[in-house]
Amino acid sequence: MSALLEARGVVKRFGGLTAVDQVDISVGEGEIVGLIGPNGSGKTTLFDCLSRVSDIDAGSISFDGADITGHRPHQVARLGMARTFQLIRVYRQLTVSENMELSIQWGRLGVSGMFSRTDPDTRRRVASLLEFLLLARLRHEPAGALSGGQRRLLEIGMALMSEPKLVLLDEATSGVNPTLTADIADRLREVNRADGVAFLLVEHNVPFVADLCERVVVLNQGAKLAEGTPRRIMQNEAVVEAYFGADAEDAR
Amino acid sequence: MSRGAATGSLDGTEAKRRHLRRAGWAVSWAAVVLLAGLPLLPSVTNATLFTLTLMLTSVGVAVNWNLTGGFTGYVDFGHAVWFGIGAYTTAILMSLQSNGPQIGWSPIPAIGLGALVAGLLAAVIGRATMRLKGPYFSIAMLGTFVAMREIVRVTSITGGGVGLTLPPYLNRPLFYYIQLGLVVALVAFTWWLRRTRFGAGLVAIREDEIGAEMRGIDTTRFKVGIFSFAGLSTGLFGGLWAYQNTFVDPDIAFVEVRTIDAVMGAMLGGLGTVAGPVVGAGALFWLREILWTNLLDYHLVAQGVLLIVIVLFMPRGLVGLVDRRGISITALWGRGRGRKTIPDQQEDEP
Repeated sequence: MSALLEARGVVKRFGGLTAVDQVDISVGEGEIVGLIGPNGSGKTTLFDCLSRVSDIDAGSISFDGADITGHRPHQVARLGMARTFQLIRVYRQLTVSENMELSIQWGRLGVSGMFSRTDPDTRRRVASLLEFLLLARLRHEPAGALSGGQRRLLEIGMALMSEPKLVLLDEATSGVNPTLTADIADRLREVNRADGVAFLLVEHNVPFVADLCERVVVLNQGAKLAEGTPRRIMQNEAVVEAYFGADAEDAR
Repeated sequence: MSRGAATGSLDGTEAKRRHLRRAGWAVSWAAVVLLAGLPLLPSVTNATLFTLTLMLTSVGVAVNWNLTGGFTGYVDFGHAVWFGIGAYTTAILMSLQSNGPQIGWSPIPAIGLGALVAGLLAAVIGRATMRLKGPYFSIAMLGTFVAMREIVRVTSITGGGVGLTLPPYLNRPLFYYIQLGLVVALVAFTWWLRRTRFGAGLVAIREDEIGAEMRGIDTTRFKVGIFSFAGLSTGLFGGLWAYQNTFVDPDIAFVEVRTIDAVMGAMLGGLGTVAGPVVGAGALFWLREILWTNLLDYHLVAQGVLLIVIVLFMPRGLVGLVDRRGISITALWGRGRGRKTIPDQQEDEP
C-alpha cells in the first residue's frame, strides 16, 4: 500500500515544551489508522501540524506525492485532505445545509464558479450526505442550535463534502452517545469501503479504534511510543503503563 | 417530533421568510421610487438635495464598511481613510496647475483614479493588517487612519494643513441622482454577492476562520479582496464628495466621525445583513439632524447613549429583529479573541 500521507521527524515546540518530538507517521491509501495516547500526549498538536494549521519546527510532511511542509491549510484541503476538530468548528449562525454547501472542493471552482450560487449537483450531494448522516430533517436549522453529537456528525459531513482522499478525525465520538457512536463507525466504514477514503483518527474511545482501525499509533509525551495492529497495541506493556501508570502492570 | 410535524414547521418558517423577502422587496422599490421622484417636487430645494446627497454618502460608506465588518467579521475602525484618500486624489488631480495651460483633470477620470488609488492602498494595507484578529485589527486600522491624516497634513502636494480647492460645479440634482444610482447599484451588488459562493465564504470566515481555511477557502485572498473592494468603493464616494464640496483639508476629509457613523449605522440597522446598513445609516443620519437641531450641546452625548443602547438591548439591530442572519458586534469581537493565526508561508497553489 503506497503512503498517502507521510510525515518524517515532525517536531513542534511551544517555547521550552516539545509537544511533538521526532514523530514519523504514515497513512496508506484507503487505510484507517488510529492515533491514541494519554491526555497531553500531542495528538491534536500533531493533527494541527499535519493539516498545516500549525507550523512545524523540524521534519517534513508529504501528501499524495506533494511536499506540503510549507503549505497553508486551504492548499492542503484542495489536495484532498479534510479534517474535523476536537473543539467542533462549524459555522454556527449558518444553517446545516449552508455549512455543507460551504465545504465543497474549492480548488475545482473557477472564477465563475466562485461568483455563482450553489449548483443543483452540490444541493443533491448535500441532501444525500445529510440523509446518510441522519441530519436531513435539520437542514434548515442553524448549526449552533444542534446538539453536540449532531454537530459532530455535521462536521464529519462537511469533511466528506469535499470528496477527500484522507480525513483526519479528531475525537469524532467525544460527547456522543453509544448508539450514535456505533452509527458513526458504520458510516465511516461505509465511506471507506465505497469511496476508498482513508482516515486517521485521534480517539480516547479505545474500543471504537480497535473496532475500526487496521493499524494504531500510540503517542506519549509527544513521542511515538508504539505502532501496530490494535490487538498488539492492547497487549503492549509500555502502552498500558503510559495509560494507567506502572501500578497497572503490577496489578496484572 | 414526527418527521411530518418537523417538515410542516420548516415549511411554515420558509413561508414566513418568503413573505418577509417580498415585503423587503416592496419597501426597497418604494424607497427607490420615492427618492428618485423627490427632486421633482417644487418644495425640495437645492439645500435639501445636498443634505440628501450627504445621507446617501453616509449610507454608501456604511454598506462598504459592512462588507468587511458585518460579512467578514473584521471590525474596521479606520474605514474613513479610504474616503479621505479618494477625496484627496480627486482634489489633487483636479486642482493641478502650471504656469501655462490648465492641466487639471476633468472630474470623471479624477474620481475614478481616486477610487482606484484607495482600492490599491487598501489591498496593500489590508494584506498586512488583516493578519490581525478582533480588536487588534480594529486598532491597527485606527492607527492607519491617523497616520494617513498626518502624512496628508505635512505633504506639500496635498496642500498641507491648508487643503485644496477644486473647481466648482454646482448642479445639486445631478450629484443627487449620481449618488442615488451608485448607492442603489452598491446595494444590489451586495445583495448579489452575499448569494454567491464568495459571499457565503466571507460569512464562513466570520463564523470560523480556521474552519473555513481548513475547508479549502483561501481566507487571505477572500479577506483582502473584499477589503480592497470596500476601499475602492468608499474612495469613489470620497471623490464625489470632494467634487461637490469644492474644498478638502485633512480635518474634513479624514474625520473619525465618518467611520463611527458607518459602524453605528451598520450596527443600528443590523450587522452582516444587506438591508441593515442602509436602514441604519439612513435612520442615524436623520436622527443626528434632529439631535443637532434640538440638542446642539449634547448631540454627541445623545449619539453615544444611542450606541450603548444598541449594544445592550438591540445587538442585532433593526433588521436583525426579522432577519436571523445578522450578528452583534460583541459576538464578532468574542470570536476574534483567542483565534490562532493561520501560517502564511506560501500564497500560490502548489
